Amino acid sequence: MTAAADSAPAPSAAVSVGRASMVFNAGRVNEVAALTDIELDIQPRDFVSLIGPSGCGKSTLLRLIANLLTPTSGEVFVNGKPAAQARLDQDYGMAFQQSGLFEWRSVRKNIELPLELKGWAKQRRADRANEMLELVQLPEFGDHRPWELSGGMQQRIAIARALAAHPPLLLMDEPFGALDEMTREHMQAELLRICAAAETTVVFVTHSIPEAVYLSNRVVVMSPRPGRITDVIDVDLGGERDEDTREDDAFYATITQVREALRGAEHDSGQPVRGVDDR
Amino acid sequence: MFFVALALVAVLWEVYKALGPERGGELFGSTVIPKTNDRVMPHTWEMLAEFFDPEVRDTPLVWEAVLGYAWFTFRLALVGLLLGTFIGVGLAVLMARFRIVERGLLPYVVASQTVPLIALAPQIATIAGNWGLPKWTWVSSLGAFLAFFPITVATLKGMKAAPPAALELMDSYAAGWWTTLIKLRFPTAVPSIVPGMKLAATASVIGVIVAEISTGLSGGIGKAALTYSQKATSEPAQVYTAVIGASVLGLALFGLVAGLEAVAMRHRPKEQLA
Repeated sequence: MTAAADSAPAPSAAVSVGRASMVFNAGRVNEVAALTDIELDIQPRDFVSLIGPSGCGKSTLLRLIANLLTPTSGEVFVNGKPAAQARLDQDYGMAFQQSGLFEWRSVRKNIELPLELKGWAKQRRADRANEMLELVQLPEFGDHRPWELSGGMQQRIAIARALAAHPPLLLMDEPFGALDEMTREHMQAELLRICAAAETTVVFVTHSIPEAVYLSNRVVVMSPRPGRITDVIDVDLGGERDEDTREDDAFYATITQVREALRGAEHDSGQPVRGVDDR
Repeated sequence: MFFVALALVAVLWEVYKALGPERGGELFGSTVIPKTNDRVMPHTWEMLAEFFDPEVRDTPLVWEAVLGYAWFTFRLALVGLLLGTFIGVGLAVLMARFRIVERGLLPYVVASQTVPLIALAPQIATIAGNWGLPKWTWVSSLGAFLAFFPITVATLKGMKAAPPAALELMDSYAAGWWTTLIKLRFPTAVPSIVPGMKLAATASVIGVIVAEISTGLSGGIGKAALTYSQKATSEPAQVYTAVIGASVLGLALFGLVAGLEAVAMRHRPKEQLA
């Protein structure tokens, strides 16, 4: 990745995406323009959701930030460094829809995985794993196997693993997509508590409007192919978010605002909005 | 259940012996069903009794001798299995690492399994003799020759079974290929490798017995089967003691792998146990 010194973002930004475009299979018949001219700045301690219909490139954008993909053009900075360096430095943790826990490892050893790869000493790893188990409120499950746990518990362990090295940034790709509605709402509240405790910046991919609104202080609305950002909506629900927030007028008003922004995105692209969840 | 099945086989044997045609069934001049005379199909109790006869005059009893031969062959087959596992996993890792190796080598790996071992064994024994290696090392290596194949295939399949999200996770940790191999791909492959080893265990036994016979290595069950079968006129039941010995040693090696499986899989979800 080439970045002239003067184009580097202010060091205060947690994530800075500058005119990033992503084309898959460039020059071939199956060429797909997944993302076009993405500009996005995320400040430390922001909770930003990326929302849009299926195929709008929101997961691709997350993978550009994670440096799992390299943009065809444009640049991505994480913590003021090029994304590639940030990945090498493990400046972020990641969680997916499938918890992706390793079934042959105990819960504790799963949480320790990123620390092992960083070369931490055994005792330090064990201490941190205990701390993380406390944080996700599953202290008694350290020696269980992941497959002995429920889906929600597995996802909490995956979050503990993503945050084990105390990265300043957490990237999440529909982490609660496979959970039932009750568990999902519970996990959303848990995630806010955990991220507040760990002082983590979060980029969260979802196709659920209420989930995006409940969790975020900014919702980034994306249009389908070629994926672009059509709107950024600030969410102000005032004060602590709890179960009452879900019945708040401001909550509903913001949901409506996001939904209309998504319809606008649909109108712009001339394609119907699919795969966005009103739940 | 095992003993019930064994008894059933013995009963079927005796029933056929009692009811089947003495001279066997012939179709267009060739025998299509076996003769039932005592030389071809001795009574099951004669086989059992044979175990308690001396092997030849003034020697230990047959069961002691057969047990010794089986133990000898078991060790060769075990070496073959271990060597085959080592080679099989190594090849699979190489193929997974370099696509070009997989494309170039896989056809030869498949072809290697259709090479007639009997034709190959004497040549290999001669080469081994020239190199001054003891014969048993080459007998074992022929066991490994048959054993490595199912392990290569199983390991390759298992390593490719790593879920994309897990691979992305390792990528997000900036983990290199070898780290990903050790932390993710290899553990993912274990549930495939172990069944591969079960196939390899029986393949190794077959390879070693065939190699014993064709290289003329004495001391094992292969040579014993050959020697006993040459005495079919005087002691028709004796060859079956070697057959039983070979089966027992095959089961023992298989059992060893099954034990290994139980250890390797003790922390895995139960439905993965084959």
